[in-house]
Amino acid sequence: MNKSLHKLILVFLLTLGHQGLHAQQTITGSVKDQNGPLIGATVQVVGTTLGTVCDIDGRFTLDGVTSESTLSINFIGYVTQTVNVGNRSVIDVILEEDAAQLEEVVVSALGFKQKRDNLGSTYSKVKSDDIVRSGEATLINGLSGKAAGVKISRSNGDPGAGSSIQIRGQNTIGGSTQPLIIVDGVPLGNNNILGSGNGITGGRTGGTSQQSRLNDINPNDIESMQILKGASAASLWGSRAANGVIVITTKKGKSGKPTISYNVTYSMDEINRRHPIQNTYGQGENGTWIANAANSWGDKIADRTGGGDEVDFFGERFVSADGTTHYPITNKNSTATYADRNFDQVFQRGHFVQHDLSVSGGNEKSTFFFSFGKLNQDGIIRNSDYDKHNLRLNNDTRFNDWLGMSTKASYVNIQSNRIQQNSNLSGMYLGLLRTAPDFDNSDYIGTYYSASGESFPRRQRSYRSYLGARENPTYSNPQWTTDEQIASSDVNRFSITPQLDIDPTSWLNFTFRGGVDFFSDKREYFFPKNSASSRNVGIFAEDVIRRRQVNFDAIARTSFDINQNINLESTIGFNYNERTGESQSLEIRDFQVNTNFPTYDLTTDQAASSLGKSAFIRRSNRGYGLISLALYDQVNVNLSGALEAASTIADNFFYPSADVAWRFTQLPVFDNIGVLSFGKLRASWGKVGVQPSAHKSQTLTDAGFSASSFSDALDVSLFGGGYRLDDDKGNPNLKPEIKTEYEVGTDLRFFDNRLGINFTYYYNKIEDILLDIPVPSSTGFFNQYSNAATMENKGMEVDLNYDIIRNSDWTVGITANFNNNENTVLDLRGAESIDLSSQSISSRAVAGHSLGALWATQASRNDDGTLELDANNFPFAGTELGVIGDPNPDWRGGIGFNAKWKNLSLNVLFEHSQGGQFADRTRIVLYRFGTHQDVSNEVTLEQDLRNVNGILFPAGSVVRGAVHDFGGGPVLLDEAWYTSRGGGFGSGVIYDLLISEDASWTKLREVSLSYTLNNNWLQETLKLSSVQFTATGRNLLMWTDIVGVDPESSQFGVSNGFGVEYFTNPSTRSILFSLKITY
Amino acid sequence: MKNYKYILLFATLYLGAACTDLVDDVNDDLTELSADVIPPEKFLTGAQLANVLAQVGHANRISGLYTGQLTGFAAQYKNIYDYTLTSEETESTWNRIYQGVVPQTRLIISKLEGENALLHGICQVMEAHVIGTAATLFGDIPYEEIFIEGLEDPKFDEQATVLANVQLLLDEAIDNLNVAATGVISEDIYYNGDKQKWLETAWSLKARYYMQTKEYSSAYSAAQNGISTASNNMNFIPIGDSSITGSKNTYFTLLNGSRAGDIGTQGSYFSGLLDPSGTTSRNHAKTDETARFEYMTVDQTDGVSNRGVASEFEPQRMVTYEETMLALAEAGARTVDFNTGLGHLNTYRQFLNTGAFLNVHFNARPYTYSDYIEADFQAGGLENADNIAQDRALLREIIEERYVSGFMTYMPFDDARRLRSASESDIAVSIPFNTSTATVHPERLVYPDNEINTNANIPSPLPDLYTVTDINQ
Repeated sequence: MNKSLHKLILVFLLTLGHQGLHAQQTITGSVKDQNGPLIGATVQVVGTTLGTVCDIDGRFTLDGVTSESTLSINFIGYVTQTVNVGNRSVIDVILEEDAAQLEEVVVSALGFKQKRDNLGSTYSKVKSDDIVRSGEATLINGLSGKAAGVKISRSNGDPGAGSSIQIRGQNTIGGSTQPLIIVDGVPLGNNNILGSGNGITGGRTGGTSQQSRLNDINPNDIESMQILKGASAASLWGSRAANGVIVITTKKGKSGKPTISYNVTYSMDEINRRHPIQNTYGQGENGTWIANAANSWGDKIADRTGGGDEVDFFGERFVSADGTTHYPITNKNSTATYADRNFDQVFQRGHFVQHDLSVSGGNEKSTFFFSFGKLNQDGIIRNSDYDKHNLRLNNDTRFNDWLGMSTKASYVNIQSNRIQQNSNLSGMYLGLLRTAPDFDNSDYIGTYYSASGESFPRRQRSYRSYLGARENPTYSNPQWTTDEQIASSDVNRFSITPQLDIDPTSWLNFTFRGGVDFFSDKREYFFPKNSASSRNVGIFAEDVIRRRQVNFDAIARTSFDINQNINLESTIGFNYNERTGESQSLEIRDFQVNTNFPTYDLTTDQAASSLGKSAFIRRSNRGYGLISLALYDQVNVNLSGALEAASTIADNFFYPSADVAWRFTQLPVFDNIGVLSFGKLRASWGKVGVQPSAHKSQTLTDAGFSASSFSDALDVSLFGGGYRLDDDKGNPNLKPEIKTEYEVGTDLRFFDNRLGINFTYYYNKIEDILLDIPVPSSTGFFNQYSNAATMENKGMEVDLNYDIIRNSDWTVGITANFNNNENTVLDLRGAESIDLSSQSISSRAVAGHSLGALWATQASRNDDGTLELDANNFPFAGTELGVIGDPNPDWRGGIGFNAKWKNLSLNVLFEHSQGGQFADRTRIVLYRFGTHQDVSNEVTLEQDLRNVNGILFPAGSVVRGAVHDFGGGPVLLDEAWYTSRGGGFGSGVIYDLLISEDASWTKLREVSLSYTLNNNWLQETLKLSSVQFTATGRNLLMWTDIVGVDPESSQFGVSNGFGVEYFTNPSTRSILFSLKITY
Repeated sequence: MKNYKYILLFATLYLGAACTDLVDDVNDDLTELSADVIPPEKFLTGAQLANVLAQVGHANRISGLYTGQLTGFAAQYKNIYDYTLTSEETESTWNRIYQGVVPQTRLIISKLEGENALLHGICQVMEAHVIGTAATLFGDIPYEEIFIEGLEDPKFDEQATVLANVQLLLDEAIDNLNVAATGVISEDIYYNGDKQKWLETAWSLKARYYMQTKEYSSAYSAAQNGISTASNNMNFIPIGDSSITGSKNTYFTLLNGSRAGDIGTQGSYFSGLLDPSGTTSRNHAKTDETARFEYMTVDQTDGVSNRGVASEFEPQRMVTYEETMLALAEAGARTVDFNTGLGHLNTYRQFLNTGAFLNVHFNARPYTYSDYIEADFQAGGLENADNIAQDRALLREIIEERYVSGFMTYMPFDDARRLRSASESDIAVSIPFNTSTATVHPERLVYPDNEINTNANIPSPLPDLYTVTDINQ
């Protein structure tokens, strides 16, 4: 970097020397557009380094100009004008907006505007209107289907639930797969923080949905959003950029009369897919009704006598809150079924109302943008909600022609309540879907009276404890989950980005930019006494999470023409970044008072409380430089490098990148080829990285741990406390993991820029991937965090847009995108697999497979791949686990259609995902429970058949089940099969025969119709500039072979595992109406 | 003049560029303690809890399913019961042994630096206990190369070698305990640092492993120094407030959580043997098992339905007087003479006849254990209706008593495998198969998934559930 300093000084001297050679004059002038002065427009004497920048009045003064000089007047987004000076001393210029080019201005990773056509790497740009129009209450989901190679998956339909963003596939195994978010030039935390205690407070496989902090941004505050997919575009961010970078620019005020805009949106949401539940067979086993039985393999409901059940009035009983009394059933007569009623008990029509008010204005020296947003959302599950308040104030001030300042400040508060889900005995869906169809989940809370007359208040009644006779009902009644349990979150976040700009000359600019981003998230989890599982003693837990990021950049930029054909821009900068965080957890259990009021006073026994805290700090600093050469208005070469030192790594690391763009249509030979209006070939190469996690270098100790051999945990803190040597082995030799990527592509525009096609091929290899690599337990450790794995991604991205019609009344266009990412885990340093998720079907990294491979017990097979069959011709599970499927799609694509006729516009967006497998484990487990519709069929046997236990069923028997042939002749799949190898839990289940083989889906992601009213009456009588009405449908239609659940769902939320669903709260579809009034 | 401004700014920029100084020394952990600063005895309780889980946790329940003691009704335990034992099922037990116990006890010893022979000896007994268990369950296991800094893939040692080394380790432990001063170690949740109890346990463990390697005369002499009274048993004693989980009988915790309904004694061969009304009952004129049958029933319904061995606060036996006495009986009968064996058996039955092993809910229920006489084992006698040799009839009764008394320990599984050879089939307990299609009984636990995946020295080909371990060949 010292070289560039020398060069600058050299240029300085050259400039000074230059001045005496010609007869000189001073000229003044102004640069404006139709609306007024263009502050910051550059006026350059062509072929020299002489130039200046317009002041706040759009005025400039230039010394040392000769009559032969030509001035080039530039402003980004406008058509450049050249003017011969001649003998004029005053030159006023009006620039025209470049309609085509305006779209093509992109914001770089450092927050500066760049002309897209000059870049050798790919940028996807998503416009603010497109995000707002999508109708998603959260920002991330609004990006779905809008850019090639960007995969957005929301794990479920819970209000505010986090969503995962993947750019060009997964780029790391152990670390976060989420991209770096840069807002107005400063990194913003997009944390997805799991609960600290799995299950109780929402870990990866149980608990509740957690939020993505990127969603804290109000979509209405966003001016533009760019996705920097390649390593080259992102490499200035070094070890933060391996997952790509999303650059967000917030709105700026506009000078002139204040613009007041008010927008209100109302949304109605409902469940997207429902699991089909059978209504034919009752609770019980072996064809017999049994009270409190886990399964619904009981009697045929239609065969019952009908009428009321016979009960015993003289023993124990359950009296519900409204006085309804339930007695022990002595004879099950009723033929009533309740699957729909039980569903309606906890599901509702969800809705949200969002208000957005913004005020923008200012004078020529200073502008401001103020916004207030308020979102109140009630989810489709009772008592799930998400209330958000956003405030933002952006100010830009130009003090004089060389000094400017801006400050962007925002505050958000989010309060929400989440519903327990997934692998979790207190989960709503688990309790609901396992409920026997002949059990009525009403009267979920009440008092149990034992046969001896003792009373037990606030007991829970559920299908496995229908009189509430036990403290632990095994599974929660779904309404207990929604109405008695609490899982709240209260987020407060404050971000401020002050920036100082100094423009001493036309070719030199300094930017000093700071940023502080702080949030706290207080999460409370309350399980009253008599909740399911070990929580029946009552648990109140609280996590307080705080994160802070401080960032500072000092940047110097220069730009000058070396001669008529060569322009050189350079940037050098320094970055300092510090991230700190703290998580505290408090818990009390075993309440002495049985009530639904969450307070630490519920127990006074100190032994029943526990505390925990974790904390981290990581700091990095980086010097970086960037040189861009523009040659002959045809070729652009960009070179950059960042030298980074970080607290988590021992040495400095260097991240280089290079890209080149050649606008070949500038060659004269293309002048007469009218079809091709623009053509660019581009290539880029770069390195980016992932920093090691903080504090992984030492082997330390665990304090107050708990261990189990299988559902039988012992907790050392209850035995006087103690320590153990950590099962994670420290590693003092960590390096960043490095992703090296190249891409080649072309941008082509035809027919006067009406048809545009962008094509990119990329390949990246990620080496030294950091992860907790399992080590043989016999070493005394389970894991060591190491640079251990290698992985590659390759794929193709195509973006297409076509303006079919564009005239004063009509605009009709289509857009489309396509991506096929192919990921392969190349090496795991000897380990066969790395678990990304846990659970019976896990999502793993397996050498030779795509990341996320589904891993579980599988059928024992013969050498030729056919199923190995037992004596009864049934397959059985082998003893070793293995890969049973790949959840990665073969390709993904989106196609959009937009039409505008006068003030009426229509947008339609379809998204498609092709291929991949999906472990819809809810269905598999419901086979075991006998509640799934698939296991409610009756079959009349045409021949003697055996079931999995070898029991012979003679021809003519009528059996609940199905006939199947595994290759050894027909066999009977009945209760014995579905409750052992063919469904349910455990290591004997043959998962590879049970998961869904084709997870392809197509969604009508978005359809919206809007009408804008801006007639004279409105403008003159009501003084409103416009009123816009919009109706939007979100995820209205879905085509897929997957039954009962959205194949995008994920049990693991925003984490690295995916492709598995297990009683995950369902997804939604919505209809929204919005009204926007602009004053 | 203006130019100075820029030069100043440039200088500021370069001053800070990419300094490692700014980031040094911020990577030390902010909350976790280093082992260096923790007193050695503070690692003991955690190691003892891990040992509890290795001895009376999941693997122990699996051994019960494979010896007719327990029935798997649902979920995992149903599949395991049907002989589907996958490599993930043994993971947690292996982890408790190799991470939970051994590194911790060795860390303690290394921190003692030759001081505190009592704690040193205790740690050695614990290592011998858990490694001996691992060797008998899994066959060849890593031992010589475990917990060595820089060694990535510990090699697997032969089962017999490991057990021989365990005997040597116990000898060292006994030496240390013999020279140790008496003291109290409150972190010792088994014995509170009682030197005498640890010494007896060390000898009982020696007897246990000699029995398994069929070195019966060594077993006999070791057992004579073993646990001398039931009050010296090495038990896991649950503590704490009722309904706080994490400190209770492991069977109770299992059944009171999500595993309710999955596993219990109902319908098992063991249950039928004790049940006075069962068709295979061992009750007769001199033996009334009513109380023990009820006490040793594990009700699968849920935790709170249990009042006996699987109730919340019921201690769980790990190394016992019962085992020691029955080792004396069997080894005595085998290596000394009939009357020696009979004498020890009767001593043990006299202990049973005190009812001291029952808890308060069952000690008022009927039980009788009268002394046997030689005639009971002679052809046509009470314990020899099928007229086998008198010595064999005595051994058969001792083995059956070990099978019953050893409920919820590994003794029934160890004995079943030890006595499966044709020459011992006359005295072995005839454990039925769990499925109609099975033809052989499990002979070991399979190696865990993680060790298979990560340790290049894992035996190949992998032994399966039915591969007989070396000492039982």
